[in-house]
Amino acid sequence: MPPANSKKSSTSSAEGAAAPPINCKLLLIGNSSVGKSSLLLRFSDEQWLPEDESSATIGVDFRVHKMEVKGKKVKLSIWDTAGQERFRTITSSYYRGAQGVILVYDVSSRDSFDALPRWYSELETYVSPSVVRIVVGNKVDKEFSRQVPTTEAQAFATRMNSLFLETSAKTALGVESVFKEVVEKIIDTPELWDTSSKAARGANGNATAPVGMPGGGVDLGDDERDSAGGAGGCAC
Amino acid sequence: MPTELPYAADAEDSLQYDELEVLRIQYQKELAQGHITVQTKFNYAWGLVKSPQRDLQVEGVRLLQEIYRAEPARRRECLYYLALGHYKMGNYDEASKFNGLLVDKEPTNMQAQSLNMLIEKAVSREGYIGMAIAGGAAAIGTIVLAGLIRRARK
Repeated sequence: MPPANSKKSSTSSAEGAAAPPINCKLLLIGNSSVGKSSLLLRFSDEQWLPEDESSATIGVDFRVHKMEVKGKKVKLSIWDTAGQERFRTITSSYYRGAQGVILVYDVSSRDSFDALPRWYSELETYVSPSVVRIVVGNKVDKEFSRQVPTTEAQAFATRMNSLFLETSAKTALGVESVFKEVVEKIIDTPELWDTSSKAARGANGNATAPVGMPGGGVDLGDDERDSAGGAGGCAC
Repeated sequence: MPTELPYAADAEDSLQYDELEVLRIQYQKELAQGHITVQTKFNYAWGLVKSPQRDLQVEGVRLLQEIYRAEPARRRECLYYLALGHYKMGNYDEASKFNGLLVDKEPTNMQAQSLNMLIEKAVSREGYIGMAIAGGAAAIGTIVLAGLIRRARK
């Protein structure tokens, strides 16, 4: 039974209905035109824009999405980064504090798959090893022009210690699962979100702080926007 | 499951001091060498526009305007960040003008659409404040006037 007056709930636990939502910061990265924004649009708005109507992301785009996973309320802030090379410096500044990273390639583009190791090396620089990673092969609706076999991509993801899924933002296939699986894995890794867990954030945020990024564990934006949740939230 | 409205992430987000320093040092270095690459200039301008400090925003907008003029290939992002910079400075007319140019080019650009929503919201909020101030001034005016009339009658 949750106490009637549970407004001042302790921040030590996220159990129970009255607990504040767990804040999760997810990042979408990958080459340009693989469908990062389309995946997000499908997931958040259940929409899809044909290629000639969609425009390349400028810098970074952002969405907040609430969901419930494993009985826990989760507030996702999803950062959709531009894939174009010329935004690379800019987008890297958004990596900090991410708990989950979605690495997207296009199954009909060998190049976009071959670029994944480079995206992984970016991650090594900016996020901690415990951050959840998922490799996503998008555009399976273009099966007829597939250039990357599922088995190969699956093997790569396993080697990189990452989850793997194939999707189609166009038909919605697998899209919901991508976000769900990432969040589930994050929930299963309390050091990523549970501020009471010692590993989450040391006094200086050192425990999970990304290499080379001062003050790494601190999120830039979404906490301020969550006026209800306030600063008592979590490390994301 | 609900999703909140789209959001211009760069509107509230600023860089940490040392992150902006990295961009600034690179810019100054190339400036000293007499050749500034577009990329360096753009990165620095972006960092400036994101700053909460007005003088930095002004400088960022100035650099973006130079890039816009010199580099047709960079126009779309310049328009977006020019709009964002002016929005942050409270120049809503300018913000709306630049964002409008981007929307003309890319009618389905969702980032431009959401920035447009932010600008419109800010304009109407300012409108309310303006009305409130005008209303307040009118009220004070009435009181003063009433006072004067009363005194005149004595």
